[in-house]
Amino acid sequence: MANSESKEYWRWTESRWTNPDLDWKNGEIISAGVDVGSVSTQSVVMVDGEIYCYANMRTGSDSPDSANKSMKWALDGTELPLDNIEYAVGTGYGRVNVPFAKRAITEIACHARGANFMYGPTIRTVLDMGGQDCKAIRCDHRGKVTAFLMNDKCAAGTGRGMEVFADLLQVHINEVGQMSLVDEEPEPVSSTCVVFAKSEAVALLRKGWSKDNVLAAYCGAMAHRVVTLLERLGVEDDFAITGGIAKNIGVVSRIEKELKVTAPEPSIDPQLAGAIGGALFGKALVEKASKK
Amino acid sequence: MQLVQEEENLTFNQFKDWYENRHEYAKAWKERTGGKVIGYFCTYVPEEILYAANILPVRILGSHEPQDVTEPHIFAMFCPFCRDCLAQGLKGRFDYLDGIMIAQSCLHIRQAYTSWDLHIPTDYSYYLPHPMHVQSPHAIPYLKEELIQFKKSLEKWIGHLITDKDLKSGIELMNKNRRLMNQVYELRKEPNPPLTGLEAMYMVVSSQMIDKEEHNRELELLLQKLPSRDIGDPGERLIIIGSEDDDTEFMKMVESLGATFVTDDHCTGTRYFQKEVGSSRDLMSAIAERYVKRVPCPSKDWPNRTRLDHILQLTKEYDVQGAILIQQKFCDPHELDTPAIKEKLEDKGIATLFLEFDVTVPIGQFKTRVEAFLEILREEDLF
Repeated sequence: MANSESKEYWRWTESRWTNPDLDWKNGEIISAGVDVGSVSTQSVVMVDGEIYCYANMRTGSDSPDSANKSMKWALDGTELPLDNIEYAVGTGYGRVNVPFAKRAITEIACHARGANFMYGPTIRTVLDMGGQDCKAIRCDHRGKVTAFLMNDKCAAGTGRGMEVFADLLQVHINEVGQMSLVDEEPEPVSSTCVVFAKSEAVALLRKGWSKDNVLAAYCGAMAHRVVTLLERLGVEDDFAITGGIAKNIGVVSRIEKELKVTAPEPSIDPQLAGAIGGALFGKALVEKASKK
Repeated sequence: MQLVQEEENLTFNQFKDWYENRHEYAKAWKERTGGKVIGYFCTYVPEEILYAANILPVRILGSHEPQDVTEPHIFAMFCPFCRDCLAQGLKGRFDYLDGIMIAQSCLHIRQAYTSWDLHIPTDYSYYLPHPMHVQSPHAIPYLKEELIQFKKSLEKWIGHLITDKDLKSGIELMNKNRRLMNQVYELRKEPNPPLTGLEAMYMVVSSQMIDKEEHNRELELLLQKLPSRDIGDPGERLIIIGSEDDDTEFMKMVESLGATFVTDDHCTGTRYFQKEVGSSRDLMSAIAERYVKRVPCPSKDWPNRTRLDHILQLTKEYDVQGAILIQQKFCDPHELDTPAIKEKLEDKGIATLFLEFDVTVPIGQFKTRVEAFLEILREEDLF
């Protein structure tokens, strides 16, 4: 078992957490956000706008099932019944397939709102590097989207691409970023297309390149690709990154270097941003309804 | 939110039916009238002269299905629309055509025309040179001379002369069609427009493939029904701007999200029918003037970008809140104009969303973008 696990280099760590300082029984509004993405699914439950518990796991082939599973795992051991969640918002690719959600809101709106919560109201530009796409978002002090751009229908420069590279080079996905930080930066690979870049990497390995240099060349290419997306949109400070790739120091540091900005260190798992945004919208919608 | 249910939507069924069964229509028309049908590639083709010759002009459009038949003939870096058009010919779907023609606009669609001419035998084909520099004072006389040559060529083919009387009736027919469609568009300016953008698209695109006599009769009926038609609050009022677009799936998707297209700048919309042929006694000159001075395709809107002011005018008249700029992938003329249009609109507080069409549209991905765009426009119930 351990042996076969260790061969799945792409497999990032699924996680769940309960806030030891909160008791849901004392809360007024319990809201939730469920972000069913192409690669990962997150459920975040909030009590009065504070994170109470969450789960972050791999998306299965069935969206409603993934949503149910992740919420079940998030609530595991909390004794909070699903029915006590007053308002759940679905977001991500599977946003309309979250069985217990009252409303679907795009991941673009949710990531901006989530980044605003995670990094503070001075964030004006958010880069969400997700499993299968990449979004550059501009927002105001409330985390409301003012403009956005998305990459085209291709997985270049996304989490899925990084998984393919981890697998090819047999380096665990969690270590890819650190390993790519070589002393002398190589030329980036010429294509970010996952398939082309993979062939290019194979050729580089055959030429005798070390794994860390190949990873550096790929992280460099990926960073450059998203920087062009950001530059088309225009970057306004402060800048933050959300999504799985935000955990990859190799890509993040190269983006920072190219853009000459610093992205704040995440104190919460950046993959949760969309679900957090959804849960906050859920809370706002409950408040709006009670005012009426 | 639109209240129109597809099943109940009888008002536009005829137009939709024509659009979806264009080939069956043209074949039946031939059988019924014994007349000739010409397939044309661009809306700069002067249909007046074809109608004067009792020929049915049918615009060649794609079918929005993936295809693999054009690869040997057109590079993949040419726009998906021109490849989709050629594919229809290569697959034999226009086998009833007696002839084809084009008026010069962009090189991509000309490639589709020349390749068609080379590989699909037809009785008649005509390349109509058309001034690219329509802002030049010499453009009208240039086009007039070319139209005279074209008319001669047609006369030779059909075996009789096209008289001034014929031309006048051709002009009158086309003008009436334009006038009626303009009247329908006028109704879209109302706070609650009585038709959706999808319905308007069915109306205009079908006019490019149906005998205008018949189309005019249907438009007159429509204009009786529309004033009392209520389809509810339009939601966000949008304009759609860009290259050839008969992507009904895309229109349907956007309007299913609670917004409404209230106008457009497309050659399958306003660019096609705005501006009539004037009443000058020199008929060929009058026709030439119309095609030189119509709202231009961006391939001809040079060196001044006259479309910018025109588009702003449309957004004012139709009280537009947001603009979707959508173009065929690799369409250079549109690509060149997009930054200027975007800047101008955003200056006036009109939000924009830019998208690229391919032969098939990735509806799921586009839906996320359109939803996020509408969330930007929507009142802020989330904050």
